Amino acid sequence: VSSTAISVEVNGRSYAEQVEPRLLLVDLIRHVLYLRGTHVGCEQGSCGACLVRVDGKLVRSCLMFAVAVDGCTIETVESLTPADGGLSPLQAAFREHHGLQCGFCTPGFLMAASDLLARVPSPTEAEIRDALGGNLCRCTGYAGIIAAVQHAATAMEDEE
Amino acid sequence: MSATAGTRRYVGERVQRVEDARLLTGRGSFVDDVELPGMMHVAFVRSPHAHARIVKVEVAEAESLLGFPGVFTGADLTETLVTGPSPAGLRAVVRPLLARERVRFVGEAIVAVVGRSRYEAEDAVDAIGIDWEPLERAIDTDGALAPDAAVLHPDVGDNVAAESTFASAGLADVFARAEHIFVKRLHTGRASAMPMECRGVVADPAANGLTVWSSTQLPHGLRGLIARMTELTESEVRVIAADVGGGFGGKGHFANEEVVVPLLARRLRCPLKWIEDRYEHMAANAHAKEMVIEIEIAVGPAGRFLGFRGRFLGDCGAYSVAPYGGLVDAITAATLLPSVYSVPEAGYRAVAVMTNKCPAGAYRAVGRSSGQAAQELLIDDIARNLGLDPLELRLRNVIPHTGPCISATDMHYDGGSFRESLERAAELVDYAGLRERQVRLREEGRYLGVGLCPYVEPTGQGTAMSKANGVPSRFFDEAVVTVEQDGSAVVRVGQQNHGQGHETVFSQIAADSLGLPLELVKVVQGDTASAAQGMGTFASRGAVVGGGTVRLAAEAVREKMLTLGARMLEVDPADLEITDGRVTVRGIPGSGLSVAELAQHAYFSGDDLPAGVDAGLSASRSYDPAETYSNGTIAVALEVDVATGVVAIEQLVAVEDCGTVLNPMIVDGQVTGGLAQGIGLALYEEIVYAEEGQLLTSTLMDYPIPSAAEVPAPLVSHIVTPSPVTVGGVKGAGEAGTQSAPAAIAMAVADALEPFGIDIDRIPLTPDRIRRLLRDARIVA
Repeated sequence: VSSTAISVEVNGRSYAEQVEPRLLLVDLIRHVLYLRGTHVGCEQGSCGACLVRVDGKLVRSCLMFAVAVDGCTIETVESLTPADGGLSPLQAAFREHHGLQCGFCTPGFLMAASDLLARVPSPTEAEIRDALGGNLCRCTGYAGIIAAVQHAATAMEDEE
Repeated sequence: MSATAGTRRYVGERVQRVEDARLLTGRGSFVDDVELPGMMHVAFVRSPHAHARIVKVEVAEAESLLGFPGVFTGADLTETLVTGPSPAGLRAVVRPLLARERVRFVGEAIVAVVGRSRYEAEDAVDAIGIDWEPLERAIDTDGALAPDAAVLHPDVGDNVAAESTFASAGLADVFARAEHIFVKRLHTGRASAMPMECRGVVADPAANGLTVWSSTQLPHGLRGLIARMTELTESEVRVIAADVGGGFGGKGHFANEEVVVPLLARRLRCPLKWIEDRYEHMAANAHAKEMVIEIEIAVGPAGRFLGFRGRFLGDCGAYSVAPYGGLVDAITAATLLPSVYSVPEAGYRAVAVMTNKCPAGAYRAVGRSSGQAAQELLIDDIARNLGLDPLELRLRNVIPHTGPCISATDMHYDGGSFRESLERAAELVDYAGLRERQVRLREEGRYLGVGLCPYVEPTGQGTAMSKANGVPSRFFDEAVVTVEQDGSAVVRVGQQNHGQGHETVFSQIAADSLGLPLELVKVVQGDTASAAQGMGTFASRGAVVGGGTVRLAAEAVREKMLTLGARMLEVDPADLEITDGRVTVRGIPGSGLSVAELAQHAYFSGDDLPAGVDAGLSASRSYDPAETYSNGTIAVALEVDVATGVVAIEQLVAVEDCGTVLNPMIVDGQVTGGLAQGIGLALYEEIVYAEEGQLLTSTLMDYPIPSAAEVPAPLVSHIVTPSPVTVGGVKGAGEAGTQSAPAAIAMAVADALEPFGIDIDRIPLTPDRIRRLLRDARIVA
């Protein structure tokens, strides 16, 4: 099978890789770059566990080929953790409000929520539910996730 | 922390979870995160037919693509999984690991292919040709029970996988003399637990034996199965279920792939990985909850229930699921028939019917979510018939006291707030106010409905509960608690965590018993090489069995610490307390010594130990609790748009009583998550097969589990009726929302549409189905 050279920046680090044209972006992230925080829940584009940001835009990495990100900048869930190793206000709010149980869908929710808060610093509950409507969680019933995003918004405003 | 030093307690507190940090930073350890040197990847050829004879499998092209002999059929792997026979009514049903000669459902694995990558393995899957001879099919329970039905397993004789019947002594008599007998038939939809992480298996045949990572709820049970199938000893097989991305019962049974992958890894002498994709999960993992239920209630004067009778036909699919058997839904619904009601007589017939569909297994609130929907819809029908308010009818029949009692199916309830929870739920949902609003809104052509579903939930499955559920088997768990030389503690448990917060809750329990700060306690679980023996996490076992076991082992270590401390401090053990990592003399702050100092003595004092006390600070205990039941009431208010058939939930109330609460945040999370799954069962989720047995729902777009848009935040209220029979008074809390939300929602829909005279005969109540009910009532809005 032929392969193509790509270069990408992921979480601030540059990578040059040879990839098959059919390699999915999520497989590049997980199994070539070994960033295991991004998860695969369906490979059908419906669950959102694999959300990453490509050049600042939220993307379902199970629906994109790795060759399509040549020259792009990618952020994965690992980029959300502060450099000092603690939890970001959003991550801390998920913990405080029981916004996760098994934790498998959580990386996708964190990516969607951080994207929302970057665009809308004080979202309403309806805006949060809408922004997270493309992410599926089977454990929590969403109440803790919604509360976490609301409180993270407040905490981040207070910080500024 | 409290103002008094050394009184930090954790049980009952809203302690934040210790497992969260790794999961929030992308550092969890799920099965697909395992990468091993030289690892190859497995993909499966699966049946496109519901029932067909396999005439010929052509593998040459696939092997030439791979460049090595990496294709395995049923002729290469001849092992089978056999479920039954059992005295509980199961017949022996044989399931080949890879289908040989015939396939019995769409998605059944036929050929396993090994490639250097999953991509390569799937290329080879596509290159395999199979000649088929389609057979007659049995797609539903009626068809499968017909005299001329296609028989799935000729060696079984017919399509009945299991049957169990029961009748209390006076049942026939009360039905013979009852004032009224009411009947309800309900067909509940085929569902799937649908955890967000699919199944997955990695098998590594290196080292002395075999190491298997699997996304399972049953690591020890799986180890036993793999050992038998590979002819290794259990001590040579190590099963690891580290972080597991949800289960809900869907990973609480054995999957064929969990045996195929280890067998092939041993044969090929290299590590193998198989990660189930969502199609495979939906077609072949396990379904659940599809039943055709008929309930009869005999009613006497003043609306008193005299007897419940039920017929539960469970559609168990093509095989009897291992290890529980195909009767799991039907028998669990049947034995709980008396529910919270003070009804003297009960009886049932529970049947597992085999059809050409994916086998059905456990999914949260096994059987009961279906049974309760049928039964509670009928109770609302009875109220309408007798001209009584449904709440009033229930209050007349609910168990009037809070103490232990025995149900008409011989379940030993350990007490509960049966009446109080119903009253509180009615108050919290503003039942009286809703009734007034309902009248007003109907005048505007808007249809508001309310449903109140009281429940009793069998939890903490031990040997006694297993018998009460109609499937007798021994169940217990072990825990080993060790205070290490530095005064920190390791708690090895048999329970396996897949989202329930076990690391946190078991740490809370052990920290309280050992008098240690929570941070010094670590829980080891999910790895058979380092965890204690356990029967698995299912049936709301964790808090009762796991927590009880940890408490017993930790208390034994505490006793030893007190004995040693008393000798070292030259006081009576009764005068000592252990808190915040210090052993002190009661009433003398600052006295005594640290747990670390005591541990040093226990480990290194040589022969300077009291008589009868062995060295070290460790204890192992096992626990097999008596029957224990949580209870409560789920209340729902909703509005039905009669033009579109869409249901909008307005209010969701859960009054729950799980006895002593270990961590209220986690209990609320279990209730809330369970409710969301109940909403899915009531309104959205159904696995659908076409008449010829083709699977029509194979993506999460066809099988829509609720999103944040469909689940309102519930109001959760707690009543605490501690169990008199379990360690610490704890009852399980895992399944109530899923058990009772479907009933409450279906009742609310029937209540809303009462002016149209509809009769709900199927759930889920999708918009399409609600429109059909309205059309059938010949009143099109």
